[in-house]
Amino acid sequence: MKKWILITTAILILGIIGAVLAYKFVYNKPHIDFEKATPDFILPAMEVYNSYKISRHEASEKYTGKVLQVTGTLSKIETPDSLTIAVFAIEEGMFGDEGIRCSMLEGQASKIQDLAGNEVTIKGFCTGFNDTDIIMEYCSLIE
Amino acid sequence: MNRILIVIAVLILVSPAFAQKYITKNGYIKFYSETPVETIEAHNRQVNSALDSQSGDFVFKVLMKSFAFEKALMQEHFNENYVESHKFPSASFIGKISNIQDVKFTQNGKYNVTVEGDLTIHGVTKSIMENGVIEVAGDRVTGVSKFILKPADFDIRIPKTVINNIAEEIEVTVEVKLEKYKG
Repeated sequence: MKKWILITTAILILGIIGAVLAYKFVYNKPHIDFEKATPDFILPAMEVYNSYKISRHEASEKYTGKVLQVTGTLSKIETPDSLTIAVFAIEEGMFGDEGIRCSMLEGQASKIQDLAGNEVTIKGFCTGFNDTDIIMEYCSLIE
Repeated sequence: MNRILIVIAVLILVSPAFAQKYITKNGYIKFYSETPVETIEAHNRQVNSALDSQSGDFVFKVLMKSFAFEKALMQEHFNENYVESHKFPSASFIGKISNIQDVKFTQNGKYNVTVEGDLTIHGVTKSIMENGVIEVAGDRVTGVSKFILKPADFDIRIPKTVINNIAEEIEVTVEVKLEKYKG
């Protein structure tokens, strides 16, 4: 009788521990820390842009959903609402400047404020090409 | 060149010279789902959008992987299982503001508008007609619309295991702060 109580209690405790771990590490698993993430590709900003322009499908297969570390001349910084967007303008299109638009992480925004016109390296998560620009999210400046 | 790019090109290049175009690359779209079990929100702040003040032509395009969720697991399920962003990387709207003549672009103020056109999500295109508000403030035009979408209408299947977590009707908010195109 006593043995059954012990077994039941042990199963119950293991079940509770399992549920707590599943809640913490599966349901509530943290977002990827893109600032610390290892880049999948390190390349010039121009090369990424040209790849999407030449073959959107091939470039998308290769770069979309990947962490890219791109280097180029930072054209401008835009600050719509609470965002800070670092822009590598590569050519003039029908929608104004076209290139790579990098949405900076909150703690990174102040680091690039004065860097327009300089060569910079930015790392972030590439979400694709929207017909005019390549979009990168969760970006950080590589110093 | 795909359809939305052709529409943008027509908006900017072919329309009469006196028609003014307004554009933004930083539009905002939010999804909101509420059930007794869970509230889910997703935000996207890099939405491409253009409006022709004369014809009322209005378009937007958004990359699905740019939607940010509070929980990483939700973001993963959204991309991999629901909208399948690897197969359908973007959503778009091509349509017009049907009562554009009611909006006085030279006079600051708020104007009620009706937006109608084709919304494409998950590779499925549906015709929609929704109400919105256009606010004119100098060279800036802000367009806001809030409406309801059903994932099932776009062939988005929610697995039974999470059916109680995701509402059958999702509230969508579109807010675009368009600037006069000076090109």
